[in-house]
Amino acid sequence: MCVGLSAKVVKISDGTAVVDAMGAKREVSVSLLNELEPGDYVMVHAGVAIAKITGDDDEESDAVLEGLL
Amino acid sequence: MKQDTVTLAHGAGGKQTAELIDRVFKSHFSNPNLTADDAAVLSAPRGRMAMTTDGFIVSPSFFPGGNIGKLSICGTVNDLACMGAKPLYLSCAFVIEEGYPMDQLEQIVSAMAATAAEAGVEIVSGDTKVAGKGQVDGVFITTTGVGEIAEGVETSGTKAAPGDAIIVTGDVGRHGCTILLARESFGIDAEVTSDCAPLWGAVKDVLDTTHEVHVIRDATRGGVGTVLYEIAGQSNVGIRLESAAVPVAPEVKGVCSMLGLEPLYLACEGRLVIFAPAAVAPAIVEKLRQGKYTADAAIIGEVTAEHPGQVIMTTEIGGETILPQPGGELLPRIC
Amino acid sequence: MSKEKMQLAREIITSYQGPKLRIMEVCGTHTHEIFRLGLRKLLPEQIDLISGPGCPVCVTQVGFIDEAIMLALEHHVTICTFGDLVRVPGTKMSLADARAKGGNIKVVYSPLDAVDYALEHPEEQVAFLAVGFETTTPAACMTVDRAKAEGITNFSLLTANKTMPRAYEALKNSADVFLYPGHVNAITGTQLCEELAENGISGVVTGFTPMELMTAMAVAIKKSQEGKPFFVNAYPRVVTREGSREAQNLVAKVMEPCDTEWRGLGIIPGSGLKLREEYADWDARLKFKLPKVTGKGNPACRCGDILQGKCKSTDCPLFGKACTPEHPVGACMVSNEGACSAYYQYGMD
Repeated sequence: MCVGLSAKVVKISDGTAVVDAMGAKREVSVSLLNELEPGDYVMVHAGVAIAKITGDDDEESDAVLEGLL
Repeated sequence: MKQDTVTLAHGAGGKQTAELIDRVFKSHFSNPNLTADDAAVLSAPRGRMAMTTDGFIVSPSFFPGGNIGKLSICGTVNDLACMGAKPLYLSCAFVIEEGYPMDQLEQIVSAMAATAAEAGVEIVSGDTKVAGKGQVDGVFITTTGVGEIAEGVETSGTKAAPGDAIIVTGDVGRHGCTILLARESFGIDAEVTSDCAPLWGAVKDVLDTTHEVHVIRDATRGGVGTVLYEIAGQSNVGIRLESAAVPVAPEVKGVCSMLGLEPLYLACEGRLVIFAPAAVAPAIVEKLRQGKYTADAAIIGEVTAEHPGQVIMTTEIGGETILPQPGGELLPRIC
Repeated sequence: MSKEKMQLAREIITSYQGPKLRIMEVCGTHTHEIFRLGLRKLLPEQIDLISGPGCPVCVTQVGFIDEAIMLALEHHVTICTFGDLVRVPGTKMSLADARAKGGNIKVVYSPLDAVDYALEHPEEQVAFLAVGFETTTPAACMTVDRAKAEGITNFSLLTANKTMPRAYEALKNSADVFLYPGHVNAITGTQLCEELAENGISGVVTGFTPMELMTAMAVAIKKSQEGKPFFVNAYPRVVTREGSREAQNLVAKVMEPCDTEWRGLGIIPGSGLKLREEYADWDARLKFKLPKVTGKGNPACRCGDILQGKCKSTDCPLFGKACTPEHPVGACMVSNEGACSAYYQYGMD
């Protein structure tokens, strides 16, 4: 339903940012997010950054699975 | 008089046609076998020959890593090479749209000459037609080639056998990705260049290593995924693909993940898929990795007796799935 | 390290021996990934994985495609769309067919690109086909918000946006556990999921990497053995409890709820979104005075039952015969993310 792309913020200017996913760059809207800095990772959907990503899936799964045991 | 664009007069067969041929084609393609006569007269090779033809209509005609001219030579040279044939002679036919910039035509022709020289093939015959504005899109080129098959070499799409390893000669999907970015305005910026390259040298490397090669096929439209299905069908065998082993340039991965595309279905223009017995495959890969266009060669899978006609993929979670059959227009998947 | 965790998740999944368990992945991207990873084949028999209605292309009503084609062919409007919609059959034809008939159909990556296109082509009228759920709707809202602010008059939206909450209600008897669509939750937050758990509907907010999907599946299986309704956010690196306030506010400013038809499911009251009156000038339906359109699907198609987990793709009489990815009849075959398309392409078992 919603193909998301995890990408690194390279440059920010006035509601938009250039993000980089493995060398593929694109300008996206970051108007839904505040306190964004170059180097942050965001989840991009249809040209809009919908969320800031706070870690990698490895650590995340660690924590989630730990909670299970 | 020097004109900057191609006009209908250039295709009328008169003085302007002769001028165009002299100025653009002859100056680049010149070789002893290219004469002003109606047909090239050539000596026949000793052994078996391979012959192939291909039409090229790529849009845009210039793209990072090449242009339609380079592509038109590579396509035919590579088709010959896949049969184990050393490319000898090529003919080329142009259909040019009225008003096409002369300097661009020259760049195309010059790229053809350079690529042909690199592949060691002579362009011995040609034809030029000019079509009215809007009747064609820029330049269309058709090339036909003949080559001499090395003795003791027999490759065919029907010869893949259980126990074969499957080799791809480099990272996949770069041409398709390059054209997609050049053609569509998805606003994506990535340093991707076409993999377009003449591959007779690579095939020669393989044949110098061993003649025990069952299938060589160049992955063009439809990409490596399409080739795998073609061979699985033609040879009536199954294919097991190790998805993690398929080389993909990070930028191509990035573009594909943005647009929800699968690199295995994107076109290549300089990649071979080689099927050879598992015992000789590592030596082939080692040799290829020293080659100019094949440094990233890798074994990506194997041929099995099970699941004839199907391509089964081993996935990141240790699961198995069928590689979906490519088909239809490639459309980005977003929502 | 991560291999060990993958192994752990895998063990939890494959060793399940409890009673029949129905897990519904709501999101089409999950469906696609689950098939791509071959995850279904790892599941023990007692686990039924049902592909839910979370592919916006699949649930977009036939009449919507008809409206878009009307705009393209009768009003000569340039249609900007996600690639996903191009091959979806309308009553008579798809957008690809309309393009062959001379319609100007442009595939864009982002709705925002459609506004840029309109600005670059002032002589054309441009409409963006706004489909999608909570994740995609903010981008569509940005377009008209910008068009209004900048006075762009050659741009409009044809809306078919949908929201999930009512759909969960409608589907609550179809599954024991929902794998919630992580990117929808990135926008909406997770409070609704918590409420659903209080009302007996269990679910796990699920991410999209192989590790995340395996983890969420393991969580769904393990927690359901505890015998009480639960909710777990297994995608915390992207999804917060609050979600995106900015996105929620933007959508509330530009759009309002309406009743809408889901292809295969019928009308679900209050599950759609339409432009508010203040944005009427950018509403393609009003701007081009489109008549009310009721599209007709193939009556033999069982997509509705498939989306509700009442039957499998292979139970449909059209599946693989009249209905294939090349010639899709029903919603679930149309999109790459649809359950039938995935079944067809990745094998029938």
